[in-house]
Amino acid sequence: MNIRQAVKMAFKSILGNKGRSFLTMLGIIIGIASVMTIVSTVNGMNQESMKQFEAMGTNKINVSARRYNGQDVFDDLYDYCSSLGSELVLGITPNANLWDLTVVYGSKSSKAMEKNQENMWNDDGTMNNDLALPPDCYLGSDQYAVCNIFRLAKGRDISNIDIKNYNQVCVLGARAAKNFFNYADPVGQTIQVNGYPFTVVGVYEEKDPGSAWSLDNIIVFPYTARRILSPGMDINEFVVKAASSEATTEVISRLSGFLAGLTNNGENGWGSAYSENQWQESQNEYLTMISMVLGGIAAISLLVGGIGIMNIMLVTVTERTREIGVRRAIGAERSAIVTQFLIEAAMLCGIGGIIGIGIGTLGTRAAGKLLMQIDIWPSAGITLCAFLLSVVLGILFGIYPAAKASKLQPVEALRAE
Amino acid sequence: MLVTLKNVYKIYGEGLESEVRALDGVSLDIDQGEFVAIVGQSGSGKSTMMNVLGCLDVPTRGDYFLDGTDVRELTDKELSHIRNRQIGFIFQQYNLIQSLSVLENVELPLIYQGIRADDRYDMAMEALERVGLANRIKHRPTEMSGGQQQRVAIARAIATRPPIIMADEPTGALDSHTGLEVLGFLQQLNKEGTTVILITHDNGIAATARRIVRLADGKIVDDHEQEVDWL
Repeated sequence: MNIRQAVKMAFKSILGNKGRSFLTMLGIIIGIASVMTIVSTVNGMNQESMKQFEAMGTNKINVSARRYNGQDVFDDLYDYCSSLGSELVLGITPNANLWDLTVVYGSKSSKAMEKNQENMWNDDGTMNNDLALPPDCYLGSDQYAVCNIFRLAKGRDISNIDIKNYNQVCVLGARAAKNFFNYADPVGQTIQVNGYPFTVVGVYEEKDPGSAWSLDNIIVFPYTARRILSPGMDINEFVVKAASSEATTEVISRLSGFLAGLTNNGENGWGSAYSENQWQESQNEYLTMISMVLGGIAAISLLVGGIGIMNIMLVTVTERTREIGVRRAIGAERSAIVTQFLIEAAMLCGIGGIIGIGIGTLGTRAAGKLLMQIDIWPSAGITLCAFLLSVVLGILFGIYPAAKASKLQPVEALRAE
Repeated sequence: MLVTLKNVYKIYGEGLESEVRALDGVSLDIDQGEFVAIVGQSGSGKSTMMNVLGCLDVPTRGDYFLDGTDVRELTDKELSHIRNRQIGFIFQQYNLIQSLSVLENVELPLIYQGIRADDRYDMAMEALERVGLANRIKHRPTEMSGGQQQRVAIARAIATRPPIIMADEPTGALDSHTGLEVLGFLQQLNKEGTTVILITHDNGIAATARRIVRLADGKIVDDHEQEVDWL
């Protein structure tokens, strides 16, 4: 007997008793729906937080270094990182915040924007995201964009020549550009920073839309501009962007060695390099663990559902003893009987699984909206796994009833009422 | 010889005081093309006889050769094959599968034989035409009269063109008119060369057979051939 015939027969028998088939499936439906909802929701949250990590930058290595004699370390770091090659390091930039700058363009001033901070919260406790807040100002190298995952939308980026020649130029983040220039083109315009004129040469693409605290509310200056913007300031913090998570580990160990040499093992200064990758990884592990625990609890309902299937299949075998006897009498082998009942159980669970996947999808969407206000769809992998799991459960819990059916002696089975 | 029973015993509860000898040393030869009625009272062992002859049950002791094969040596799978290919069963209660249509019931033994769908359809339709039910193939067994159901059962038995037809009280649940119709089919099959073994308690039915084997208490008490008018 071939599988297609068996599937057809199983389908008939399931349809022949719709009410009971549905009640039997209920356990599987609930089980699959809850496992799917939990795993997909946690998975979706995981991806959401990964997205945030990625906007901030993965494979980012934070380097702190200083010589006691005050001699700048960035040039040495820059040369060393360039020597490592692009398969390890994508870029390096100082990570230095400039405080208390006054940025003015026309009637717009960062001082005025500071007042907005007081009106930032609406009465209902939500944030007023339409307000313009003062921009964060950074010193950067020509590789600032690579290190912080910005892409140019307009104009050009800070160049090496800007740095060497102390050019008074800057690049705006999308939100800062909007706050100062609204919809006008900022490129080529001059802003006043602490009274010094700086030409806007480029604007970065928006990468963190919405919030007033957006990562896009920034202005980046060549780091040599500190001479006029913040005289005497030391730059001790740097960001190195590694090519991959494997490269991150490699680069951290190389940089640690390099820094030890640079500071003569701490005699002339100090230096360290670490990455937030590790923190991100443990965060992911934590979420995965939660999903496994919750999923495990939900899996118990699947087990109960599976036992329900076994129970009903045993009833079915008893009810159809005579049919089994007839089939055996006209030539069905034991294996044909086993196949028939296994396929019936697998189909019962498979159909239940499909319904459960449907409900689980709705549950995932609802959970994403209610818990985190995000849009989650269950992944194709999870959906496929849920379906396969239900079919495997059907086969697993169908084995005993099917074996029982196949062991019936034809003579005795035929005698059954 | 097509069928040879040699000193066959079927004993239930062997060794106990309550042991029952359903077959008590039966020896019987049936040749190809015979029409044999095995007749006896209820409890005479004729049902056990049918089960043993039909490879539904194996004897406790003794030899059973079917077409030269020692049935006692066969595995469950091989017995299934013999039932599928060599024997067509007709039961008193028709034993059709209620969830399947008439056509599907008749196709069932062909499915177990692994015959391709279109060949299967042709063979099943041919069998249904012979019993005059080719126009009812979509019906469920429950939608038909007893006589029609038994004709479906006959179609199922002959669909695989087996050399032996084994009928266990085939007229038992039918009125005398439809009973005669069913007997007519069996006689027709026998005329075409099929060996028919008919098990019955009814002497009137047995009287239509060419050979009558009478069982009592698990033993053969009479075995004779007779002239019949339908040949």
